[in-house]
Amino acid sequence: MTSNHASVVNRERVEERSSQSATTLISAILLLYNDGDRARTILEALVRGLERYGEEWEIICVDDGSQDHTSRVVEEFLSRHRNVRLIRMRTTFGEAAGLDAGLRHSSGEKVIYMTSRVNVNPEQVVGLLKKLDEGFDLVVGWRNPRRDSRLNRIVSWVFNRMINRLSGLKLNDINSGVFAARKEVLTAIPIYGDLNNFIPVMAKKQGFRITEEKIEQLPGKFRTSRYPNEYIQRFLDIITVLFLTRYSKKPIHFLGFLGAILTIIGAAINIYLFFYRILLIGPIAGRPLLLLGALLLVIGIQMVSIGLIGEMIIFTHAKEIKEYNIEEIIAR
Amino acid sequence: MKVRESHIDISVVIPLYNEEENVQPLYDILDEVLSGLGKEYEIIFIDDGSSDETYPRLKAIAQRDAHVKVIKFRNNCGQSAATDAGFELAAGDVIIVMDGDLQNDPRDIPKLLEKLEEGYDLVSGWRKNRKDKLLLRKVPSRIANRIICSVTKVNLHDTGCALKAYRKDVVKRINLYGELHRFLPALARIEGARITEIPVNHHPRKYGRSKYGITRTFKVIMDLLSLNLFIKYLKKPLHFFGKIALAFLFMAFLAIVGVFQGMLRGVYGPEEMNVLISIALVFTAGGLQFIFLGLIANLIFITGRKRKLYLANIKE
Repeated sequence: MTSNHASVVNRERVEERSSQSATTLISAILLLYNDGDRARTILEALVRGLERYGEEWEIICVDDGSQDHTSRVVEEFLSRHRNVRLIRMRTTFGEAAGLDAGLRHSSGEKVIYMTSRVNVNPEQVVGLLKKLDEGFDLVVGWRNPRRDSRLNRIVSWVFNRMINRLSGLKLNDINSGVFAARKEVLTAIPIYGDLNNFIPVMAKKQGFRITEEKIEQLPGKFRTSRYPNEYIQRFLDIITVLFLTRYSKKPIHFLGFLGAILTIIGAAINIYLFFYRILLIGPIAGRPLLLLGALLLVIGIQMVSIGLIGEMIIFTHAKEIKEYNIEEIIAR
Repeated sequence: MKVRESHIDISVVIPLYNEEENVQPLYDILDEVLSGLGKEYEIIFIDDGSSDETYPRLKAIAQRDAHVKVIKFRNNCGQSAATDAGFELAAGDVIIVMDGDLQNDPRDIPKLLEKLEEGYDLVSGWRKNRKDKLLLRKVPSRIANRIICSVTKVNLHDTGCALKAYRKDVVKRINLYGELHRFLPALARIEGARITEIPVNHHPRKYGRSKYGITRTFKVIMDLLSLNLFIKYLKKPLHFFGKIALAFLFMAFLAIVGVFQGMLRGVYGPEEMNVLISIALVFTAGGLQFIFLGLIANLIFITGRKRKLYLANIKE
């Protein structure tokens, strides 16, 4: 899907694969966007961090349609390193698409993902990997100490509290843009649209073991928001989380409940007005309540109907979307 | 017909959630009953994310007996998901589902098989002498059964009994998800299965705790509503939404007639006219939207129509 729109600059891929199949491989996916010369600094630090860890590694850079010379900087870098690759998106597709493209071209058992936007110290990814080896499936980076703008921090704090409350997670920085995960986690959950923001939420729902690890945020210039409307978007995302965690496969339980309430209120108003008029207590046409009653009735029934349509979609596709995650099958 | 090396006649699917004490006794009875049948069988246990010793015990059994297969979920996904995972793995011509709490009696399995041989696709157990608390379990269950049966048009005394035998081709078509395990006979009926029942034994719970409650009434009602839609209108949802739309448009039509009457003959004052106009507008808008919803529903059906629309016994 996404990879059709990306050109892959890949050197010596075949040799790479065959030599690395024996040991576990770490795939680091780095999302870059208009980073210019900073891309080299990030890559160098990342390589230092990975080398320190001492296992086989590969880096997949995803250039999310930069307008500057980011790609040239990376190409220059990968002429010196055999296990670095560059995926250049034709235009800016967003983080979920970038992560998806990176995953499709990675072959490691353990995956590190980071976006240059959050400006954390790439050398410290080792810490995330260590937690992974302790038996966790997903380790979310916690930007601490944080050097973002105050607005970013406040938005982030509110957002994290709400998501933790809804999803039952206990993380300080859910959408930090840095994490390490086992490949199976990322193949088990859907990543598209804005869903990259909710990887911990979905992983939690699937029963994976999740933890966090501090990672230092570097001082420097911050873009307040890369993709437009990001702040408003985040609060709409809360609804996404609600659906993801509770009603993803039972839309009627949610919409039916809301719709039933609205219908009952609407019907009650209408019955009240009906007797009010019939018993000649007074006129009703001038009252906004009449319009409210009629509208609530219609909207309530429609909401239930939309829930039913949701059920139809799920029913017709139930065989394709499984809602459980098998850890092990024993069969001889 | 294709001859497979290890053909399996019977698969027994048992979802388990925190049933550590029941695992061994259940396996012992199953082993005794199934090995006495003289048929090839498999027992599939699904551990639905138990937090107790259920899984290690299952694992130990599976290592001793090759008939036993175990699926382990990462977390608790619910009985529907667990049963579905079992259905997916089951290879037998006949698939039997039962609860893992020892309230169902594996000794009923031969009876179920016998009945299935008479040409049915689903044989449901009927707990004629139910060993549960009357007020808390039996009465609500009986009421629920009545409602479920009348809405889903399935004629059974006890749809809630977990012990059931299915023919494989029915099971492989059933869409089981959410909390629809309560309505398995209805789901089978949607696929065109012939359904019957036989009385089975029922024992009081010895170990562990019951995991059901009567708090989920609203969800059950909503599930019933969608099942009703699936049963009658899955292939023509426009008819369902069209009926609602017609009801709305009819109301709007009456109001519009009233408006014209008022205009022509002046029988209504400005107040009545205002009421009529409001009703006409709201109900026209609502009615039209239902038609569009119906069209979208039709679209969903058409795009989702990958499966065969029928279930048939084809003899080779």
